[in-house]
Amino acid sequence: MNIRPIRVDDLPGMQACNLQNLPENYTMKYYLYHAMTWPALSYVAEDHKGRIVGYILAKMDEEGGEDTEPHGHVTSISILRSYRRLGLAKKLMVQSPMATIYRASFVSLHVRKSNRAALGLYRDTLGFTVQDIEKKYYADGEDAYAMRLSLK
Amino acid sequence: MSDIPAKRALPPKESTLFKELLTLYETRQLKKGLKTADQILKKFPEHGETTCMKGLVLTHMGRREEGIELVRKGVRLDLTSHICWHVYGLIHKGEKNYEEALKCYTQALRFDKENLNILRDAAQLQTQLRIYDGLVETRYTLLKIRPAMRQHWVALAVAYHLNGNLTEAKKVMEHYEGTLKNVPDYDVEHSETMLYHVRLLEDLGEFAEALAMLDVNAKSRSIVDRTSIMEIRARLLSKVGSDEAEHAWRVLVEHNPDCYEYYRGYLSNLGLVLDATDPSASKALAVLEEFATQIPRATAPRRLALTIASGDHFKELVTPYLLSGLKKGVPSLFSDIKGLYQDKPKQEIIEEVAVAARDKFSATSPEPSSSTSTDVEPTSYLWTLYFLAQHHSYLGRHAQALVILDAALVHTPTLPELHMFKGRVLKRAGDLFGGARCLEDARYLDGQDRFLNTKSAKYRLRAGMVEEASALLGLFTKKDAASPGADLEDMQSLLYLVEEADAHNRNEKFGPALKKYMAVNKVFDEVEDDQYDFHGYSLRKFTINIYLNLLTWEDRLRSHPAYVKAALSASRIFVAVHDNPSIGTAATASAQLTDAQKKAKKKAKKAAQKIQEDAKKVTPQSNNDDKGLEPTPKDDDPDGSKLLQCADPLERAAKLLKPLATLADTNIEVWIATYDVAVRRKKYLQASKALAHAAAIDSEHPELHIRRIEFRRTVSSLPEPPQVVGPILTESIAKLLPDEVSYEAFNSQYLQRHSASAPAVLAAAQVMVKLQAPRDQVEDTVFTVLGAEVLLDIKTALAIAAFLGTIKSLRADEFRAQCGARFPLSTVFKPEADLAELRQLALNAPHALPDKAEDIP
Repeated sequence: MNIRPIRVDDLPGMQACNLQNLPENYTMKYYLYHAMTWPALSYVAEDHKGRIVGYILAKMDEEGGEDTEPHGHVTSISILRSYRRLGLAKKLMVQSPMATIYRASFVSLHVRKSNRAALGLYRDTLGFTVQDIEKKYYADGEDAYAMRLSLK
Repeated sequence: MSDIPAKRALPPKESTLFKELLTLYETRQLKKGLKTADQILKKFPEHGETTCMKGLVLTHMGRREEGIELVRKGVRLDLTSHICWHVYGLIHKGEKNYEEALKCYTQALRFDKENLNILRDAAQLQTQLRIYDGLVETRYTLLKIRPAMRQHWVALAVAYHLNGNLTEAKKVMEHYEGTLKNVPDYDVEHSETMLYHVRLLEDLGEFAEALAMLDVNAKSRSIVDRTSIMEIRARLLSKVGSDEAEHAWRVLVEHNPDCYEYYRGYLSNLGLVLDATDPSASKALAVLEEFATQIPRATAPRRLALTIASGDHFKELVTPYLLSGLKKGVPSLFSDIKGLYQDKPKQEIIEEVAVAARDKFSATSPEPSSSTSTDVEPTSYLWTLYFLAQHHSYLGRHAQALVILDAALVHTPTLPELHMFKGRVLKRAGDLFGGARCLEDARYLDGQDRFLNTKSAKYRLRAGMVEEASALLGLFTKKDAASPGADLEDMQSLLYLVEEADAHNRNEKFGPALKKYMAVNKVFDEVEDDQYDFHGYSLRKFTINIYLNLLTWEDRLRSHPAYVKAALSASRIFVAVHDNPSIGTAATASAQLTDAQKKAKKKAKKAAQKIQEDAKKVTPQSNNDDKGLEPTPKDDDPDGSKLLQCADPLERAAKLLKPLATLADTNIEVWIATYDVAVRRKKYLQASKALAHAAAIDSEHPELHIRRIEFRRTVSSLPEPPQVVGPILTESIAKLLPDEVSYEAFNSQYLQRHSASAPAVLAAAQVMVKLQAPRDQVEDTVFTVLGAEVLLDIKTALAIAAFLGTIKSLRADEFRAQCGARFPLSTVFKPEADLAELRQLALNAPHALPDKAEDIP
C-alpha cells in the first residue's frame, strides 16, 4: 500500500471511502476546506492500482482561543474493511505533521459512544485515551467520547 | 462622487435612514431593514437604491420573487448607481449565474472605480469564469488601492500566474518579499507563500534558483513544512543533476518508507524504472531489496520488487510475502498482488505457493470443533482458502472457487469475508440473487459495519431490488432525512447514485433512472460551485500551491468516471425517449406500484410533509431568519417523469456530453453517444466528426459499425444534402463507408471478420434488422454466438436475449435456455417465474448462521 500526502484529486476517493465506512459524512466543500486550510495534514493510503482505501482527514483545532495550547484534530480517519490488518491507520496517523508544522502538543477526536469498532482502533491501535464525554455531541442526540493523544 | 443625480439625492433625514438601512443589511437585521426601507419609499417611492436594497432584504427573508422584482425595478430607476448594480450582481451570484453577476459588477465599477468590496467580488467572479486577463487588472487595481495588504501582492502574482505570465508573477513576489520585515517564527502563512515562490521558480525552469531559495528558507525556518521541503529538494536536486540527489531521495524513503513515489524518485534519479521488461530491471530490483532489508517494517519496497522480479527470484520473494500475509490474515492480500497476473508465469508461481501453503496449514490445522486452540494455524488455513478462492474466481474458475469457499465456510461460518466473496463469485457467474443473499449473510455477522451494509445494498441494487436496498441503506443514513436516498444524495454519494440509477435503468424505470443520473450531474455542479469561496479564502490563507492545484482539478472535474457513466447513460435515455416518446408516457401510465413501493412512497411523502411542516414552524413570515441569496431547490418531479417527457431531450443530452469531448476523448462510448445526439439534431458535420473520432480509437468497434451504415443511410435519404457542409460531409462519409460498397456487403464482411466476437455478431444482426433481412436469418446469425469458438460473456448474452425480445423472436426462450446451459451457475437467463422465486429466497433470513442477526424493518 502506498501512503502519501493528499492531492486535490484524492478528495472524491476519500469522500467515497468515508461514505462506505463511517456514519459521519461530509460534503465535498468540507474536504476542500481541510485541504485548502491545512494542506499538509491529511494523508491517504492507496492500493496498488491507485484506489483510495484509507485516509486521515485532519485539521488544527482553532476553538478555545489564544490561551489554549495549539492542538490538532482528526475530523475523520478510516480504512476500508478489506484493507484492515495492515496497520494503515497507524501509518497515516504517524505521518500527519501537526506537531512539526503547527507545534501541536496533542491531537483530539470524537467518536460515537456506540461505535465500539472505532473506539478500539483509536484506543488500542492509535493510543488515544478518553478525555471526556460530550453529551449529545451528534445531531441525532448520541453522546461522544472526546479522545486525546499526546504528541510530546 | 461629486454630482449626485437629483433622483438619487435624499433629504438629510432619509439620507440617514438609507445609511441605517445599509448597516442593518450588513448585520442582517432584516426585519428592521425592511421597515427602514419602507419609511424611505413612503416619501420617495421612485428611489432606485432603496428599492434595490428592499428587494435584497426581501430575498434574504425568503420572499424571493417579490424581492428580485424590486431589485430589477430599482436598477431601472437608477441605472448609474453602483449600489443598484452591486445588489443586482449579488442576486445573480446567489443564483450561481456568474456571467450575469460579473456584468453587473462591471457596471457597478464604472460608477465607483475603487470600491474594494466590489473589486474583490469581481476578482472572484473572474477567477470562477477563468477570465484571467481581467483578473490581472482587477488584482492590480486592488493592490494599487491598498498596497499595505499582504494578500493583495500575492493575489496579483497568482493572477499573473493563472494568466500564464510566470515572469511577471515572480517579479511581484520578489517585490513583495522586499517589503517584508520581521516575519515571526513558525508563520505558516509565510511558509506557504515561500513554497509558492519556490514552485514558481521551478515552473519557470529556474531549478538552481529554486533550490537556493528553498535551502535558505528551510534553514532560516521560514518554511516549516518539512515533508514538502524534502520532496521539493529531492526533485530539484535530480533536475539539476546533483550528486546530493540520491541522498535526498534516501532521506525521503526513510521519512516515509511506504510512499511509492519516493522509491520511484530514487530509482529514476539513478536512471532506473519500475518495469520488469526494462533491461536494467535487475539493478532496480537490487535497490528495492536493499531498502527492504534496511527498513523491515516497510511493505512498499517488497511489493514493488514483486513487479520487477521474475522466475526463481520472483518465487523467492513472493513466497515470504504471501506466507506473511496469509498468517496475518490480511484480507486484501489477493487484491494486492492480482496486478501481477498479467504475467502468466507469475500467476502459476503464486498458485503453486498458495496451494503448498494450504496443504501445509491444513495438515496442522485442528478440526473446527476443537477451535479452543490458541494456535494461529486455523486462521492461516482459512485465509489461504480465501486467497485460493479469489485466485480461481479471478481466472474464471467459478465452480472451483465455490468448492473452496464452501469448505472454508464449513470450517468457520462466521467470517464475513467468506460470505462476501462467495457473493462476488455468484455475481460474476451470473447469479445476482444468490450474490445478494450471500452479502446479507455477511452483513448479518456484523450489523454495525457500514462497509458490509453498503456492499449488501449494492448487491441488491445489482439484482434490481431497489426498495429492498433502500431499506438496508437506511440503517446508516440520517433518521430525519426524507429517505435514505435523500441523505446519500445530500452527502454526494456517487456510488449510491450511479448504482441506483443503473438498477432503475435495467428495470426499465427510465424516469427514476434519469432522475438519479441527473443527481450525479448535480453533485458535479455543486463541486464546481464549491471552488468559488476559495478564490478569496485561499489567498487570505496564503495556501497558494494547493489552491492552484484546485483550479486545475476543477477544470477537469467531469473526467470523473461517475460523471462519464451518468452522462452517457442519461444521454442514451434522452435519445431513446426522443426516438420513442411512448417510453416517457408509459412511465407515468404504469403507475402500478407493488405494495412495498406504495408503502415506501407513502412513507417518503409523510417524511417530506413533516419536513415542510417543521420548516413552517420555525419560519413564520417576515422574521429575521436569513435565507441567504441561493434559491432553495424544490422537487416537483420526484420520479423523473417530467424529466423524461421534457421538450428538449436532445439538447439536454448534448449539454451533458459536451465536457466529455475534451475530458474523456479517448473513450469511444463518448463519441458514439455524441454521434447519436448530433445525428438526431441534424448536426451532420458534428455527427461525422464524432464517428471519425470513434474510428480513430477503435475502427472495428461494433457500435461504430452499426453507425457507419446508419449514418450513410440517414444522409443519403435526405431530400437534399445540407448546403454549406455538403462536400465535406460526402467526403467524410466515404471514409466511413465507401460509396461503392453496399450496406449488405459491408455488414457481411464485418460479420466474417468478427464471427468469433459476440458483441460484433450482435451488431451485425442489428444491422440486418435495419436492412430488413428475414427474421430467421437474423436469428441464425445471433445463435452462432453459442458456438464453442465464440467469445461470449454474460453481459453480451443478456444483450442478445433482449435483442431477440425486441424483434419478437420466437426463439428468445430457446436462446435463454442455451445460455443457462453455457453458464451453469447463472440464474439471469431463467424464466420470470423462477426469478421471482429466487428473489424471494434472496430476501429470506440468512440460513445456517448463528443468531447475531440485526433485524431489518
